[in-house]
Amino acid sequence: MNINIKTCVIGSYPVLTDTMELMYGYFNGEEISWDKYIQCAVSDMVNAGLDIVSDGQTRDPFIQIFTRKLTGCRIRARTEIVDKVEYNAPITIKDQKYVRNLIPNDKGLTGVITGPYTLSKSCIDLYYKDEKDLAFDFAHALKQEAKVLQKHVDMISIDEPFFSNEIPDYGKELIEIITKDIYCPTRLHACGNVSNVIPELLEIPVDIFSHEFKASPQIFDVFKEYVFPQKICLGSVRSDNTRVESVEEIMEHTKKGMEIFGEKIVQLAPDCGQRLLPRDVAFQKLKNLVKVGEKING
Amino acid sequence: MFSFTREQEILEISNTKIGGQPGVYPTVLFGGLFFKGEPNCETAEKYLNNMLNLSKRTGNPAIPDFFIRREEYVEKITNFIERVLPKSQPFSIDVTDPQVKLRILECLYEKNLLSRTIYNSIHVGITDEEREALAKYTPKMAIILAFNPKDKSPDGKIEVLENGAHLTDIGLLDISKKLGIKKILIDTAALAPGDNTGAAIAAIPVIKEEYGLPTGCAIHNVVEKSKWLNDFESARKTVDASSNVNISLFGGDFAIFGPILNADIVFPTVAWQDILISEYTENYFGISPDVNHPRRKLF
Repeated sequence: MNINIKTCVIGSYPVLTDTMELMYGYFNGEEISWDKYIQCAVSDMVNAGLDIVSDGQTRDPFIQIFTRKLTGCRIRARTEIVDKVEYNAPITIKDQKYVRNLIPNDKGLTGVITGPYTLSKSCIDLYYKDEKDLAFDFAHALKQEAKVLQKHVDMISIDEPFFSNEIPDYGKELIEIITKDIYCPTRLHACGNVSNVIPELLEIPVDIFSHEFKASPQIFDVFKEYVFPQKICLGSVRSDNTRVESVEEIMEHTKKGMEIFGEKIVQLAPDCGQRLLPRDVAFQKLKNLVKVGEKING
Repeated sequence: MFSFTREQEILEISNTKIGGQPGVYPTVLFGGLFFKGEPNCETAEKYLNNMLNLSKRTGNPAIPDFFIRREEYVEKITNFIERVLPKSQPFSIDVTDPQVKLRILECLYEKNLLSRTIYNSIHVGITDEEREALAKYTPKMAIILAFNPKDKSPDGKIEVLENGAHLTDIGLLDISKKLGIKKILIDTAALAPGDNTGAAIAAIPVIKEEYGLPTGCAIHNVVEKSKWLNDFESARKTVDASSNVNISLFGGDFAIFGPILNADIVFPTVAWQDILISEYTENYFGISPDVNHPRRKLF
C-alpha cells in the first residue's frame, strides 16, 4: 500500500482574545489587528507538526466570517438577509497571505469556505423568502472567493455541517458552482452523523470527503458499502470532548479506517473545528494526531 | 431632522433628563476634567462652575466627566466631587484601567455617590472583577461603549450590544441589565479619523430606532486626532465645538465634548442646534420642547 497521509485541521482553532487590549487600541486610536491571534493559532499548528495548517478562523465564528463581508447580510444576534447576497471584496485572502508568510515552505495551507447551504440555513431570511434562491446566491458569491483563494492556498475546504442533516436536491449543484474550474484540490467537510446522506454525498464533485469518523464511527459501516473515486480525510480525534485521545487510540482508529478505505485515506484531522476546545487540549490532540501520521507514513 | 417610530426612553438621574424624541429635551453635554497630569482641583473648580453656569443659561444639562487615570487619584477626585459639586448634580466617571474601575466603584459607594454616578463605560473589555464590582456597587446609570473591534459600521455596533460580537459571553446590553444597571446610555464609539468615523454619527438614529435608548458619542475625539487640522489652528476649537451638532442633528441625546475648558463655545453652539431642531420638530411633528429647553430659555 502506498501510504502518504497528511495531518491537517478542519479549520478553526481556539482563540483567547484579549478584549482589554483591543479596547486600549480603541482608546489610543490605533488600528485593530487580528494578526497576533492568527499567529498564535498557526504557530500551535506548526509546532504540533501538522502537514497542512489553516488560519485558525480566529476572527469570528464560521458563519460570521463570511456574512460580515457579503453584501445583503446584516449581523444581529444572528445574521439577517436584508438584500440580495453578493460578493463585495475578498473575505479571507488577507489572512491567508499572512499565514503563508508565517509558515515554513514545507507546510501546506488550507483555505476554508463555509458552504452555501449551511450559510443559508444559519441566517434569518428577510429578503428572499426562498431558501434555494438564497443558497444559490451564497454559492455564486463564494465562488468569487474561491477563485481568488485558490491562488493563495494548497487546498480549499468547504464546510457544510448542515449536510449531515439533509442534502437538498440542489446540494450537489451548490457545491459544483464553487468547485468547478478550481485548480487546487477541494475538500467537503460535513460533520455529524452522515450515515443517511452518503449516496447524495458521493455525488458531490470534490476531491476529498471529510467526516467525523471518531465521534460517529457508524459511518465507517455505511461508507464501505459504496465504491467512489474521492479520497478521505479521516476525523480521528473528537472536537466536542476535552479528553485527549492517546496515540495508541488514534492509531487503532486510523488502522480501522485504513482497513476500510485503504489508500483513499489521504488526511488525518480532528473530527471538526477545534474552536470550542481549551487551547492546550486542542494542541495536545494535534500533537498526538501528528505522531500517528508519522508512524503510519514511516 | 426626524422623529423615531420606536418609543424613546427618557432616563433621569438626579433631575437631569436624557433621551426622548428629538426636540423635547436638550442635548446633555459631558465636559471632561483631569485628562492629564496630577488632578488640579483649583482650576477644575473654576471650569466646573463656568460649565454649570453655561448650563443654567442655555438649558443644556451639564455632566462633569471625571477622567481617573490612576488609583492614587481616586480619593482626591471623589473628595472633589463631594466638596465642590452641588448635591443634586450628576457626574460621570471616565476610567479605562480595570483596576482603577474597581477602586472607584468602591469609593463612590463608601461616599454614597452612586445615585448620581454615570459609569463611563461598559465595553467588550469588561473583566469578571469589574462585573462583580458593578453588581456590588451598582451605579445609577451607565454608558455602554458600542465599539466592535470586528466591525466599525452601525451594524457592528448593534452586534456588540446584542451578542458582544462573540468577544463577551453575552451582549453588552444583557451584561448591563444582569448587573442591575437600569438606566443605560449608548455611546456609538467614535473612531480615529479616516476609520469609518461617520459610522458613529450614522449609528445614532439606527440605535435609537432599534432600542429607544438615549444615544450619543464623543465625536470630539475625531477632531482631536485630525492631524490635518494643525494647518488650520485658529479653526480647531470651532471645528471641535461644532462637530457636536452632528449628534443632535442625527437625533442624539448627549455629547461627550472633550475638555471642559471648551464649554464656553460648545454650550451655545449645541444650544443653537437644539433650538433649530426644536423649531422644526414642533412645526412638523407637533413636538413641544421641555420647559428647560434652550428654545424656552433663550427666546
